[in-house]
Amino acid sequence: MGSPFDINGGACVAMVGKDCVAIACDLRLGMQALTVSNNFPKIFNYAPSTYLGLTGLATDVNTVSDLFRYKVNMYRLREERNIAPQTLANLVSSSLYEKRFGPFFISPVIAGINQTTGKPFICGFDSIGCIDLAKDFIVSGTASEQLFGTCEGLWEPDLSPEDLFETISQALLAAVDRDALSGWGAQVYIIEKDKVTQRLLKGRQD
Amino acid sequence: MRGPTIIKAEDDKTRQLNKHTLMAFSGEAGDTGELLMIRNSTLPMLTNGFPLVQFAEYVQANVSLYTMRNDTELSPAAVSSFVRGELARSLRSRSPYTVNLLLGGVDPVTQEPSLYWIDYLASLAPVPYAAHGYAQYYCLSLLDKHHNPNISLEEGMKLLERCTDELKRRLPIDYKGVLVKVITKDGVKVMDFDNDRVVRSA
Amino acid sequence: MDKLVAQYSRPAHQNEFYSEQEQQDLNESLPPLSLKFSMPPIDNSASFLRAMTDDHSNPSCPIKIAHGTTTLAFRFQGGIIVCTDSRATAGNWIASQTVKKVIPVSRLSRGEDKPSNDPTPGLLGTMAGGAADCQYWLRYLSQQCTLHEIRHKRRITVAAASKILANLTYAYKGYGLSMGTMLAGVTPQEGPALYYIDSDGTRLPGNLFCVGSGQTFAYGVLDANYKYEMSEQDALALGRRAILAAMHRDAYSGGFINLYHVKEEGWVHHGFDDMNPIFWKTKLDNGEFSNVTSEL
Repeated sequence: MGSPFDINGGACVAMVGKDCVAIACDLRLGMQALTVSNNFPKIFNYAPSTYLGLTGLATDVNTVSDLFRYKVNMYRLREERNIAPQTLANLVSSSLYEKRFGPFFISPVIAGINQTTGKPFICGFDSIGCIDLAKDFIVSGTASEQLFGTCEGLWEPDLSPEDLFETISQALLAAVDRDALSGWGAQVYIIEKDKVTQRLLKGRQD
Repeated sequence: MRGPTIIKAEDDKTRQLNKHTLMAFSGEAGDTGELLMIRNSTLPMLTNGFPLVQFAEYVQANVSLYTMRNDTELSPAAVSSFVRGELARSLRSRSPYTVNLLLGGVDPVTQEPSLYWIDYLASLAPVPYAAHGYAQYYCLSLLDKHHNPNISLEEGMKLLERCTDELKRRLPIDYKGVLVKVITKDGVKVMDFDNDRVVRSA
Repeated sequence: MDKLVAQYSRPAHQNEFYSEQEQQDLNESLPPLSLKFSMPPIDNSASFLRAMTDDHSNPSCPIKIAHGTTTLAFRFQGGIIVCTDSRATAGNWIASQTVKKVIPVSRLSRGEDKPSNDPTPGLLGTMAGGAADCQYWLRYLSQQCTLHEIRHKRRITVAAASKILANLTYAYKGYGLSMGTMLAGVTPQEGPALYYIDSDGTRLPGNLFCVGSGQTFAYGVLDANYKYEMSEQDALALGRRAILAAMHRDAYSGGFINLYHVKEEGWVHHGFDDMNPIFWKTKLDNGEFSNVTSEL
């Protein structure tokens, strides 16, 4: 069997725009070549403007998303406020490093807007919690090489929410069309300071 | 199965977790896998093969315990989440269970039927129809074509028959028939199913 | 007078066929079946090649061969339907979405320079497994069939053509060739004929074959709905639908649906169509593929 990161397939990308961020993922869950489900979203919501995308081994996507739901709920109860994307990034990092010698086989991506500063924030991680901060875009999953190509080609600074939606959608769809293990539709979240738009993309079904 | 000998031809590879939830399981290599699908408010479900009972009975006992302690039936969604959690915990233990599961149930409150696909890695996906083992490769395309969300029980049984016909035609091993159960809001029921029908190949 | 009668009462075409001697000469000038390929200078070239190219057992193998396919062909009362996908993958990378996996065999009847839509006489071969292996050997087969046509002044039978290919693959058995191919044709001698040939040297005649990584999905749909007596329209639709099923469920199949109908007069191409619009039409019109979400 191949790498645990490539068993189930999946792709995720986050992008920064002007006073907005976007995060998008594909919908496939597979077992090697077999597509099992076309409705397996990989983006999870932890606060009104804080989102976490998880690609890699599906069982760990389930486990880790549940784990952070628990941790973020506990944070909210203790602190009586929503978690900021930066705080979630540090929580994700240290939680992943706790499994340094038997890691979760996932590559997380965070996208959100900090409600105190109003500034967009994105970052990515390796499977043991190294934070990868970026000002433009973060990619992960089996189509990450293709996503680097499409994002480098399509992204530009200070995109409006509408243009950012168009850019991230085209970048993701073009990338997964060249990857056998991801695709089968996509979900996009456009996050602004006090508004989040969720859209479904009808991708190729092969 | 032990070596090349079939020990028991008819073995129930399902466990009823509570009144409206049934779990089907298939284990290590040698099993052909089982198959199941959904309809409006009943779930025809079909299994075959040999036991990987330990895990199933552990889960069954704990779901019963919850029901007794709290005097409430867990919804299929809650049961599936619990089952997945236990399987995921076992996955990173010294001796993980290699068991594939299909979990079907009707929510006791909303009366909505639901079906969950869980593999031995503890990946969970809610699906309208599912299979494990070789059955996936032969039957999913058939189910893609002939299933619709409002399929009736009779149509569902016909579709199930199409699936077993295909398995008889193409599977290199004789899987010794199937056991069919239906889950409705009133509970789980065993269905009559003709396992002796001869299928001709094109 | 007798001389005159004798001259004109000879069968009109007697001299058109080759004499026995001429035929013998022709046969002796046949190229040898095993062509000369350079081999790696080691003891066991076959296992070396497998170690270098088998990306299934070793995903980081240095040479990646394009793989992954669904192809199908079936006989019915109106001839033979041949249908394929068009994807080529190297590992998880989709190398191409526009591969032509149906290859017309026999150059004389390829009809590439014919602008009309009339049936083109000749056989069709399908391609699964190593793309280069299939292309090369079907081209070789095409050459042999063309020579056969020139020598014998009639088209080769499907049985004979498939035997040439099977003998060839058998000669190279164990050298690491990878191909699963179907030959379809309608000849006056055999009627509609369909053969499956693979790189193990297998050669099977049959009514219905699916080959490639998505074969099981295609078999699922095809077996359940196949009838020898079905109409041409139903047969074309079934071929298309079976490939669609495989493209949807198999990650290594996809792209365009390439559909052919082989009949008495020759083969007719019924389109090289993108699967995506066909998929959504099938889903929305017939309510199939209920596992695919179309709204949030």
